[in-house]
Amino acid sequence: MKTITLYVSRFDPAVDAEPHFEEYAVQVNEGARVLHALHAVRDEHDPTLAYRYCCGSGQCGSCAVRVDGKPVLACMEEARDGMTVEPLALPVLKDLTVDLEPVIAKIARICPAPDAALPAREEIEAIKPLRDCIECLCCVSACPALQVTDFAGPTVLRQEMRLALDPRDSGDRITDAIEKGLFYCTTCKRCVEVCPKKIDTPGKAIEKLREIANRRGLTLPRHQEVAQLVQETGRSVERTQPTFLEQVPEVIEPDGPVRGEVGFFVGCMFNGRVPRTALDAMEVMKRNGIRVIVPHEQVCCGSPLIRTGQTSFIDDLKKRNIEAFASRGIKTVMTICAGCGATLKNDYETPFEVKDVTEILTEYGIELPSKLDVRATYHDPCHLLRGQGISEQPRTLLRLGVREFVEMPTQCCGAGGGVRSGVPEEAKALGAKRDECVKATGADVVVTVCPFCEFHIADCTDVPVKNLTTILLEGYRKKDAERKGSA
Amino acid sequence: MVLYNAPTNKMHVDEIVDAHVLVVGSGGAGVRAAIEASRYGGVVMVSKTIAGKGGCTTMAEGGYNAVLRDRDSVDVHREDTLSGGAYLNDPALVDALVREAPERMADLVRWGAVFDVTEAREVAQRPFGGQRFPRTCYAGDRTGHEMIMTLLDRLDATDTHLYQEVSVVDLVRDENGAVAGAIALDRDGDVVLFRSDATVLATGGGTQVYDISTNSAAGTGDGFAMAYRAGAELIDMEMIQFHPTGAVYPYDARGRLVTEAVRGEGGILLNARRERFMKRYDPDRMELSTRDVVARAIATEVLEGRGTGHGGVYLDVTHLPAETIETRLPVMLEQYLAYGVDIRREPMEVAPTAHHIMGGVRITPECRTTIPGLFACGEVTGGVHGANRLGGNALADTQVFGKRAGEFAGKAPARGGRIDDAAIDEKLKVLDAFFEGAISPVDVRKDLKLTMWNQAGIFRSAPDLRTALGHVRRLADKRLCAASTANLLECCTVRNMCTTASLIVRCALLRPENRGAHVRLDADVATEPATSPFSHTYVSLTREGIERREAAA
Repeated sequence: MKTITLYVSRFDPAVDAEPHFEEYAVQVNEGARVLHALHAVRDEHDPTLAYRYCCGSGQCGSCAVRVDGKPVLACMEEARDGMTVEPLALPVLKDLTVDLEPVIAKIARICPAPDAALPAREEIEAIKPLRDCIECLCCVSACPALQVTDFAGPTVLRQEMRLALDPRDSGDRITDAIEKGLFYCTTCKRCVEVCPKKIDTPGKAIEKLREIANRRGLTLPRHQEVAQLVQETGRSVERTQPTFLEQVPEVIEPDGPVRGEVGFFVGCMFNGRVPRTALDAMEVMKRNGIRVIVPHEQVCCGSPLIRTGQTSFIDDLKKRNIEAFASRGIKTVMTICAGCGATLKNDYETPFEVKDVTEILTEYGIELPSKLDVRATYHDPCHLLRGQGISEQPRTLLRLGVREFVEMPTQCCGAGGGVRSGVPEEAKALGAKRDECVKATGADVVVTVCPFCEFHIADCTDVPVKNLTTILLEGYRKKDAERKGSA
Repeated sequence: MVLYNAPTNKMHVDEIVDAHVLVVGSGGAGVRAAIEASRYGGVVMVSKTIAGKGGCTTMAEGGYNAVLRDRDSVDVHREDTLSGGAYLNDPALVDALVREAPERMADLVRWGAVFDVTEAREVAQRPFGGQRFPRTCYAGDRTGHEMIMTLLDRLDATDTHLYQEVSVVDLVRDENGAVAGAIALDRDGDVVLFRSDATVLATGGGTQVYDISTNSAAGTGDGFAMAYRAGAELIDMEMIQFHPTGAVYPYDARGRLVTEAVRGEGGILLNARRERFMKRYDPDRMELSTRDVVARAIATEVLEGRGTGHGGVYLDVTHLPAETIETRLPVMLEQYLAYGVDIRREPMEVAPTAHHIMGGVRITPECRTTIPGLFACGEVTGGVHGANRLGGNALADTQVFGKRAGEFAGKAPARGGRIDDAAIDEKLKVLDAFFEGAISPVDVRKDLKLTMWNQAGIFRSAPDLRTALGHVRRLADKRLCAASTANLLECCTVRNMCTTASLIVRCALLRPENRGAHVRLDADVATEPATSPFSHTYVSLTREGIERREAAA
């Protein structure tokens, strides 16, 4: 047995105006779960503590709560000393119990056709990954879109796709899905991260439903325009200024000895909208002895099309991009755009390795810059954090570049999944929430590694937003100026 | 009906709900009963949890037995079930089970269930213990969850009124002695009175009365206790299935089910000396022997000093391809990974855990109990599984008898008798008394579970059982204390657990032989299952005993 302290959110609507935390010290066994700590609170301190539980083995979905802010199943998550336990972000009934029923009521029921027969094996296999849901509503609690729209929730859309895949179902799932907010999902994958069953709702449901919607001509007009642009120009961004590719040679040699070599997948945003940032990044590569090869025939990775379900000519884009790098014998392809990186890693099968710039720089190790005299915070791009599992490398690099680094809570900025173009009011509302977080840190600058996030957050806050490589470059320039000054 | 108007600080009926059919319980049997009864209208279903999240169907992993192939036959399924049940089963109930299980499986498939299928587009089946044909249909290792989701979809298409997080605490009888509904507590402890023409009891099992159990928190045996108090007869309550493979550590995860599908897919049992010990207990069937045999084998290995440090044996699947484990046993993989064990690379440690109560309310094939107005189906009933249940027969049981209970309850005539206010008054007084109690229900629950595990577990003897009975009765007499109206339910639950436990122990004392799951170390009569002179034990408010078979087979 060991003693742990936990802080439990208590709320009795009959008495309390708002929830408050109570501190409890309880005895639990080694390996005890959060649920067992709650039992101990009930048994040793307060028998009136309200919380749900049933199967105790992660199968019924009754006991979801937020532990240290993250939705988890209380019966599966190990209890830890000092943890906070709060109800899911849904209307609270009492203490840790929330009103699950209105959300569960939105989860569609199958409407079997009268002549429904057993599906074929491949149909069953396609449904199964979407069928494990235990309706715990962790995803609904965590979904950022739900905070600012009337999106019905990830699991509700998951069920629409589960039914769309079932030949026995006779319902119109696409119309349903659109009504329930199909285009509100930013594909941030926060729902996958908190799902006890790790159901890939954005990839296996949302994007697939959008694909079917696309085949029925129901894609949002703004998204259709993007697809048309890609089809005509190979780029998802219109040319309004000299592009990155127009400004660089095919091979960018480093300043000093060559320590390594990478291919560079530019991406449409860096090529057309913020080429300056990409040029900054090339300076950082040169400074650190890494040769960069930039095939000029590369095109859009297809991410804006896949995320919005417009996949009819995606194979052609993939083929052209893979050929551009493979034909030059490139072993490692670097991305600086989180969206392109996640797409190349997750939606492509490449004969080369794909790495984010922060992976490349931390692996090779960088020349130390002079620290900028600023307090910086870092925004995790969803497609870097969850799409590629990268969180430490950018923080490590950022700490080298600034006087002070402060964390802020991670949340989608609202730019992804076609939301910035398709549902701008949602993107704006999520951006405003980022602004609040940024302001709370008191940071002088917001640093990120994704051009979509960078561009969008800059629209939503008056605090400067910069790419991590720009910070490093400014640090090198400061270092050079200091050397010059002291020389 | 006049509302009970007591002085202000007393419990009173806050709401009255009328129904033609009242279904108590929202597991596989209850939901199936409600679906069927809804054809006759006026169905109310009361669920103590949010529907779909309670009970044990949701947790059932391995599968559903049904004869689906030409090479298999209902006769073989019948014989496997009777033989596995040590011939204590009620043959008429077994007949209904094996004949109708395939039709009920077809219902599920028609309603959208996502069972695994073969290349040949047939529902896939795997081998389970004690069966001569691989007839266990499955949806990975979340078969019960798949069923309950499908059933709730179907229920939603009916006009059944669903009361969620409302817990029935007692049955109510009318002036003629017929069951006339039930009294329940909602989430806040407010009282709801349900009145009905027919009531279906589908409250599931109750192995939470044991310290180590696979059951969900809802498996507290309320239905056994409520039926008993209402005057129904129960049979074979001594027949507790100890599932051979429950988790043994960490402490709080003890008893968590490790599905039989692990052995069905090829998992092997090894003792601490790495001997495949089943060869000494059942060399023909090995790990896929019946559950009573495997559970006793494991318990014996541990008792005789060949167990692991955690007091279990090894269950090993590391010889299976990782992909098989990932696709056929994903829940097992996930649960063990959460506790830091990767079953693809290291063996599980397992020991027996209280899993299923084979005994229960005596029913006819039409699911009628011994009192008018009360029907029952699912684990709360007795007779289907005899002295040992085959893995995969419980889910089939829920569907076959859920459908039957719903049908015959739906066809029941309107009930004429009056409900006496005094009878309601008496039940409310029981609730009131909990505010005057002195003992925490938590303490009584802990004490009860340990008593049952230590003195009425896998290996039994008359002295132990008598000690247990005395202690259970003392616990049942404790004046339980409710800390708030919302805590009344916990008091009612613990009271029911004490009643269910006493029924188990009383029946265990009544059966002098070793039969299926019931092992008396002091058995003074040696019997063979097929020829035993004994049949059901029975217990009710008015009588108890053991039936004798007229002519042994």
